[in-house]
Amino acid sequence: MKIVVPVKRVVDFNVKVRVKPDGSGIDLQNVKMAMNPFDEIAVEEALRQKEAGKASEVVLVSVGPAQAAETIRTGLAMGADRGILVKVDGPVEPLGVAKVLKAIVAAEQPGLVILGKQAIDDDSNQTGQMLAALLGWPQGTFASKVVIDGASAAVTREVDGGHETIALKLPAIVTADLRLNEPRYASLPNIMKAKKKPIEEKTPADLGVDVAPRLKVIKTGEPPARRAGAKVASVAELVGKLKEAGVI
Amino acid sequence: MDFSLSEDQRTLVAMLRRFIEEKLAPLEETVEREGRLAPEVARDLFEQSKALGFYAMNIPEEFGGGGLSTVDMMLAEEQFGRTTDILIRRSFGNVYEVLLKCVGPQVERWLKPATRGERTCSIAITEPEAGSDAASIRTAATRAGGGWVLDGKKHFISDGLFSDFFVVSAVTDPSAGGRGISLFLVDRDRKGVTIGRDQPMMGLRGTSHVELFFDRVELDDQCLLGEPGRGLGYALDTLGRVRLGQVGARAVGKATKILDLAVGQARERRQFGKAIGEFQLIQKMIADSVIEINAARLLLWNAAAAIDAGRDARALIAMVKVNASETLGRVADRAVQIFGGMGFSRDLPIERYYRDARVYRIFDGTTEIHTAGIARAALKSGGALYDPVEAV
Ligand SMILES: Cc1cc2nc3c(=O)[nH]c(=O)nc-3n(C[C@H](O)[C@H](O)[C@H](O)COP(=O)(O)OP(=O)(O)OC[C@H]3O[C@@H](n4cnc5c(N)ncnc54)[C@H](O)[C@@H]3O)c2cc1C
Repeated sequence: MKIVVPVKRVVDFNVKVRVKPDGSGIDLQNVKMAMNPFDEIAVEEALRQKEAGKASEVVLVSVGPAQAAETIRTGLAMGADRGILVKVDGPVEPLGVAKVLKAIVAAEQPGLVILGKQAIDDDSNQTGQMLAALLGWPQGTFASKVVIDGASAAVTREVDGGHETIALKLPAIVTADLRLNEPRYASLPNIMKAKKKPIEEKTPADLGVDVAPRLKVIKTGEPPARRAGAKVASVAELVGKLKEAGVI
Repeated sequence: MDFSLSEDQRTLVAMLRRFIEEKLAPLEETVEREGRLAPEVARDLFEQSKALGFYAMNIPEEFGGGGLSTVDMMLAEEQFGRTTDILIRRSFGNVYEVLLKCVGPQVERWLKPATRGERTCSIAITEPEAGSDAASIRTAATRAGGGWVLDGKKHFISDGLFSDFFVVSAVTDPSAGGRGISLFLVDRDRKGVTIGRDQPMMGLRGTSHVELFFDRVELDDQCLLGEPGRGLGYALDTLGRVRLGQVGARAVGKATKILDLAVGQARERRQFGKAIGEFQLIQKMIADSVIEINAARLLLWNAAAAIDAGRDARALIAMVKVNASETLGRVADRAVQIFGGMGFSRDLPIERYYRDARVYRIFDGTTEIHTAGIARAALKSGGALYDPVEAV
């Protein structure tokens, strides 16, 4: 069984992003980029499944600019087998990515697609669900545990108030939550081997997919600055103030 | 000419930085407080790093090392500079390139065990009466039967308490001056070898710096490393790559890390109603540090590339040693200033970085010694030293 893992190049989680002065988006100049942390968890999960003998090959896919090859290479250095870069300059929305992935799935015929539950740049949390819908496959989102057993997978999901375990018939879609695993370090020998692993380049046109944005971003803004609070001397005063503010 | 990192270089650097931040940085304060790294912790770090192929990356693969080029190794060494000496030694190994002079049975006896991390090595050149003037050492080895007898003493030998063997410089031909000095591989358990006092230092807590005494130590013929009389030459040549990495590159890494903190402080700390980074006097300290760190790194990469290309890099290495260590000194000093009282306080690590930075200008040849060497080379070779059109 093959596992496909989509990986996205995003702003490094350590970077404090700034909004462009004209409000047209985030300023990405001189900003460090890295693999989306949830995708790293997805790659790790796929590698563990392969090491456990549940999968035969781990294929990474990235939809993005030429530099996204670097993101794929990071996953290859962790141990994935090969990569596919679908080159797109400019923004791609979750639906566009899901359509591209559907075409990749048609060509690769994986038994499982593991995605990050969301990307830390736009926090959409949509791609996995849209892909499942487009393919008509079962989905196990926010996974904190994945157990593959023959033609099915038991996926433990992080839901409000606890855990829920569902059984999925393969092929299926899984999206990785934070507690699924702790991604490994790429070892020096694997980093060197990654150089020789193939990355195939494609365009959305090759796959017959239109990724033109369907949404229009009207304005991007900084979160409002926190204003200083006021001190109260007693509970009575507090209740008074809350009433004044109209919150109780 | 493109100085951006390749994909694999980026991955390697990212992994090392993550290892350092996740595994090593949390130990630094404990080591500083206790003055030692607990042996079981050291063992665990070694095993984790070794499993990832991060130990002895500078040594060629045929001997069990990582086989990195000099340029790649300098990128790694720069990351090492972001943590402390003892944590680097135990996690990544200080496997000195001079051991590559090992031939025949020496390879199995010293080089390979050192590369595997089974045996640790220190370099013992300095003596109480012979520091900068390394040719004036008194430790001597005399021929006896099929081997040698070693007599003398050394001091300030880094990591000596932990090391299993030492590369020791000794006079073998008293009539030949600097050309009469050879290097020997001396196991610590040889009869007549005494490890003396651990000499307390201003910084580098956790690493021992010891006196060594040799009293009629009998050495077999395999103990001579390389050719007799070439000891000082090796110190400039093969040990030059050590100097480039362990001093030059680590100084650049340390300066980079310290500047990160200083920039953060300049952004966050507010006085007179604004971030202190808005004051021009603070900005000057930041800009100077940025310029100097970038210049030091490019000089470092230039020297590393020259070594990889097989060119004589000795003068370049000396330039890096001076420039990177002096840059680190200035950057650390400015960081203390930018942090103000908190820079001097033990509540933050800035004062520790400042103390640790100081020795970079001293060990492995002082700034003055390397500066004098650069001047001599320039007076001899002229433009070849500073003009790429003239360079060979
Ligand atoms: C923490 C630490 C670790 C060390 N680790 C090791 C080690 O592992 N192995 C090892 O062999 N050694 C080691 N050393 C020794 C180190 O390399 C020497 O301290 C260094 O080379 C300087 O020698 P010195 O201390 O004898 O100073 P000196 O040679 O006495 O120098 C004193 C001052 O005089 C100046 N000076 C000397 N000669 C000249 C000149 N010709 N022109 C201008 N100025 C001059 C020097 O620059 C310096 O400012 C270590 C030292 C320290 C502090």
